[in-house]
Amino acid sequence: MEFDLRKAINAISDVVQNRPIPLREFDQIYMKVADMVIQAEYVARVFDNKNVVFVGDGDGIALSAAHLKAQRVINYGPQSITLLDFDERIVNSVRRFGEKLSPHIKISSHLYNVADALPSEHFGAYDGFHINPPWGASNDGESVIAFFERGSQATKEKSLGIVVIADDPDLQWTQGVLRDTQRRALELGYVVAEMLPQLHLYHLDDAPDLRSCSCLFRRIDPGCMQPISEPLKSARLENFYGKSSPLRFRYVRERTTLNTDRESDLLYTLEKLEVGNG
Amino acid sequence: MDDKIKQGGLIFMKVGLHAQESIEDIVERKQREFEETGSIFWGYGGNTCHPLTMVQPFAKEVEKSGNQILIVMQKMNSKHAAPPEIAKEYSDDGVDWQPIPKGIEVRGSRYALVLDKLRVEEFDLDLGELQVGIGPSRGRKADQYLVGQADKGCFLYTPQDLPVAQVEQPLKRIGLVANVKAPYAVFLKN
Repeated sequence: MEFDLRKAINAISDVVQNRPIPLREFDQIYMKVADMVIQAEYVARVFDNKNVVFVGDGDGIALSAAHLKAQRVINYGPQSITLLDFDERIVNSVRRFGEKLSPHIKISSHLYNVADALPSEHFGAYDGFHINPPWGASNDGESVIAFFERGSQATKEKSLGIVVIADDPDLQWTQGVLRDTQRRALELGYVVAEMLPQLHLYHLDDAPDLRSCSCLFRRIDPGCMQPISEPLKSARLENFYGKSSPLRFRYVRERTTLNTDRESDLLYTLEKLEVGNG
Repeated sequence: MDDKIKQGGLIFMKVGLHAQESIEDIVERKQREFEETGSIFWGYGGNTCHPLTMVQPFAKEVEKSGNQILIVMQKMNSKHAAPPEIAKEYSDDGVDWQPIPKGIEVRGSRYALVLDKLRVEEFDLDLGELQVGIGPSRGRKADQYLVGQADKGCFLYTPQDLPVAQVEQPLKRIGLVANVKAPYAVFLKN
């Protein structure tokens, strides 16, 4: 791969500027910008000319991949991107930014929580999926598996899935979640096609060195596909964000404001400059 | 380290000058708070002890095993001087808010731990015998975890595999101790 790094970082900078502030209570922890460039280019390459669904995307990797293509930093990328996210702030910000990219790539975004069954219009509709879910530090990867299943349900027989999850050989839980995710993927008919280990860093103050990998899965056995999509059972919701940390909220709703994309005027006041006329 | 600490869950925190008030003044004010209301709200900030994602689930798991949560505090000089805004409401889930109970005052903090009586107890805590108990750093040793940006966390006692010479033990001098009680940690707003 060859591309102009300055143009790429400036393109990603546009996406970063468009993102809402992350909510840590929902494990919204943003990837660092250089790693976004790497991931977005990779996503664009893997999903070149494909219709892709992102099940959750606070980082903005979907828009990043699209924007790199639209800005002609790279000459490949998805044909269309659909975002499903439970945070209306993210859904709306992607919709606003996506409209500007519409001549180059079709982007749509919808409010959806993985606890709910996948709406029928998204079932089996896409060529590939991308997830970077809550990493399941204290729940044996339950949250990762829930997102994986939704991504899998949203895709066609010959599907590809990119999974971004924690990967630190010194932290046993990350290796356990990787193993459990791969085990579930095998049950659903996938193989690991490619693994980029310890690739990304995050704005994570209590684990600044914790990295994630990018794991590419390819479905080789459509016979293992789930025939329907059902709501998550209550036992799976109970430890969704970790032990004794249940999934409690369906959506994060955006408060309407006239100040879209600007600092909230509740956070500052203006003080006039008094100019004497003497 | 006594057995109560070894079997329970520990929240370690450094405390110092906060919201333009000395630690001694804060302790005295908090002791009065406990005598008047039976509870103390101990204000703090940062993401490493987030009420919903860290403290509450950690405390529930420890209590399920029949043990207690203790906060152990290391006193230190701090330049931190958040504006002394007084919180007016609190919430244990970030959705339903209630007025701060009469007699309790928390200043300059987004979150508060809910404590019972505060005790002045001095002892050395060996961070080499603690591991992070929850969150993305779960399993990391406390002395490695606390060298970065993190200055507080939820820990469990895990004995060292091999004995460590006393001079090499990463010790922290603890000055204040309290039991943390349900709902363990709450959100605050003014």
